[in-house]
Amino acid sequence: MAERLSILIAEDNAADRMLLSTIVSRQGHRVLTASNGLEAVALFEQERPQLVLMDALMPIMDGFEAARRIKQVAGEELVPIIFLTSLTEGEALVRCLEAGGDDFLAKPYNRVILEAKIKAMDRLRRLQDTVLQQRDLIAMHNEHLLTEQRVAKAVFDKVTHSGCLDAPNIRYLQSPYAVFNGDLLLAAFKPSGGMHVLLGDFTGHGLPAAIGAMPLAEVFYGMTAKGYSLAEVLREINAKLKRILPVGVFCCATVLNISFQRQVVEVWNGGLPDGYLLRGSGERLPLVSRHLPLGVLEPAAFNDKYEVYPLALGDRVFLLSDGVLETCNKLGELFGEERLLEVIAANRHLPALFTEIQQALTHFSGEQQDDVSLLEVSLVDDAELSRPPLAFADNGQSHSLDWSASFEFRGETLRHFNPLPFLLQLLLEVQGLRPQGGALFSVLAELYSNALEHGVLGLDSALKANAEGFAEYYRQRSVRLAALTDGFVRFHLQLLPEGAGGRLIVRVEDSGSGFDPQQVPVEPRDAHSLSGRGLALVRQLSERCSWGDGEPGVRVEFSWLPGA
Amino acid sequence: MEDEYPVLLDTFLIDSEERLLVLRQAEQAADAQSLRLAAHSFKGSCSNMGAPMLAGLCKQLEEAGRREQLEQAPELVEQIEREFAIVRILLKSERQRYRH
Amino acid sequence: MAITSLPSSDGQELTILIQGRFDFGAHQEFRNAYERVNSTPQRYVVDLKDTTYLDSSALGMLLLLRDHAGGDSAQIRLLNCNPDVRKILAISNFEQLFKIA
Repeated sequence: MAERLSILIAEDNAADRMLLSTIVSRQGHRVLTASNGLEAVALFEQERPQLVLMDALMPIMDGFEAARRIKQVAGEELVPIIFLTSLTEGEALVRCLEAGGDDFLAKPYNRVILEAKIKAMDRLRRLQDTVLQQRDLIAMHNEHLLTEQRVAKAVFDKVTHSGCLDAPNIRYLQSPYAVFNGDLLLAAFKPSGGMHVLLGDFTGHGLPAAIGAMPLAEVFYGMTAKGYSLAEVLREINAKLKRILPVGVFCCATVLNISFQRQVVEVWNGGLPDGYLLRGSGERLPLVSRHLPLGVLEPAAFNDKYEVYPLALGDRVFLLSDGVLETCNKLGELFGEERLLEVIAANRHLPALFTEIQQALTHFSGEQQDDVSLLEVSLVDDAELSRPPLAFADNGQSHSLDWSASFEFRGETLRHFNPLPFLLQLLLEVQGLRPQGGALFSVLAELYSNALEHGVLGLDSALKANAEGFAEYYRQRSVRLAALTDGFVRFHLQLLPEGAGGRLIVRVEDSGSGFDPQQVPVEPRDAHSLSGRGLALVRQLSERCSWGDGEPGVRVEFSWLPGA
Repeated sequence: MEDEYPVLLDTFLIDSEERLLVLRQAEQAADAQSLRLAAHSFKGSCSNMGAPMLAGLCKQLEEAGRREQLEQAPELVEQIEREFAIVRILLKSERQRYRH
Repeated sequence: MAITSLPSSDGQELTILIQGRFDFGAHQEFRNAYERVNSTPQRYVVDLKDTTYLDSSALGMLLLLRDHAGGDSAQIRLLNCNPDVRKILAISNFEQLFKIA
């Protein structure tokens, strides 16, 4: 026997009403009776029966109107209405259905058919009930998920946007949905004042794709702040992602290292569509993917080889996720590389290009993009960038400052190890030096690369006079570095108290033929020359800079006053 | 439905007499709409009570009301009254069997 | 999207044929294609001649196959790549991991 239902019978004819309620209550259901439509509606509102047997023609209010009202009161819940009728005309039956009737029962009543119909309607009613419950459950889950996503996005934004995406030389477009498609935009100043920028795109969709972004961002910001090089940051990110992500999840990425002082950009692209270096002159250089994405290869097989390009003021680098090329129009066509290149070719004023690309995408797809990441980084004058002070995690206690130390980095180490973060961390234990941390790092970096490139590797900076020579210079650098077995770079550090403040003296020497100021001319030979900025920079940033005087190498000094 | 059966018979008989009254009034007032509704309702219960002849006459009257062709109505109402008189005798004797 | 796998007569090679879109929707079917075979093939062929589209999830699935087939010692050929598919494989530099023809 089926579940006991509460059934409303609306019938004006007393004999029929009685006959029907007897049949129905004998089938085990609870019966409510009404003798016209108005009574039926009132009783329905009061008792909320689960099923209604409704006579079509009744005085005061007929069954059609009563059915309409009951359906309205019932709302989303399915309250089946079976019309009781001896109506035979098709038109009248249509009216029953239009009023919300679900079935008919013809007179004279047949007990068996009535029971079968009640059962069938009850199944339908319960099905609808289940559907509604599931819908509500799904809606609740969805609401829950959206809340979680909002929270996750807030955390995500805090981590990923802790850098300098708001710097005046960066423009970006990242649709909110793109975050949960695994797109990632990171930018951070290096202690030397340069900038690391990363555009990444994790495989897959949703939270699993976004989750890898957190450790990636942590490594990126942590190592960049400590002064690690692009190659070192890349290696660490790759190793970390390989270690923690399941096979098959990886991150396509392009990473830039921009030096505003040296006016160069280093580019590493693993798996993203071509980026572009666009020059004020109208020249366009594709930044091609030459590597597997991050998180695919074992650390030993990872290739951190990057390309180096000279930059001039106003030159721009454009990076894009594949969401840009895969933007769809209403016909299902993809935006594609060709259309993008047309937009770039049509551009007459470089600063407007970013907006032009955005407009072209919107025009093409007819709506806002929801899965697009687009980034523009331009080379601006160093002075236009305001940098946050270096952040330190310690408690700010003073440290001793009367000591000296010497370090010698030899062949094998020079090939694989970047001593600068190590030295910088050591020196920045000295609180008085912290405000000058950026300058200190830049000076050490200049002196180190000068010692390494000219002293140890014997490269000629005159090569860097033009773009071809520039590329050749960096080609030779990587070839010679890879083959390096001998040679050294020495750092002599000396800290002296001076009044209530102090003084740092650094001397850098190398195994080469001695410091040759000709390789780093005091004044650039030519303002547009691609070399010669190094020594000028060192002189500008340090308090004193000298060489010779019977000492090998270059000597620079920094001092500070108490309370600095 | 042994227990309810005599009550059902009573209900039908009382209800039917009221309906006949309504039918007669509607026919005399030449009110086609009332005639149609009363005939329709009576038709339903007659068929349920196993009086097919009576149900058939009601159907004809309902049709006449619907078409607003009332010239046959007096004749049909009279036929219905005669047929009901027979049905009533049958049902009353049926009712007797349940009087203990 | 339909994926069929066909072992060679000696059981040494397994050919996986992918028809239609090769994206996340194909995830389970693609795994079944190489996990639910009785033979233990030495070589794999992924035939992409009827593949209309391939996304980064598909690249991930290819890496899973490579892992299954022995990682760095895996022998996997990707056959009959159309220009679009070839371009996506090239951007990701997958020729370093797979033989692409």
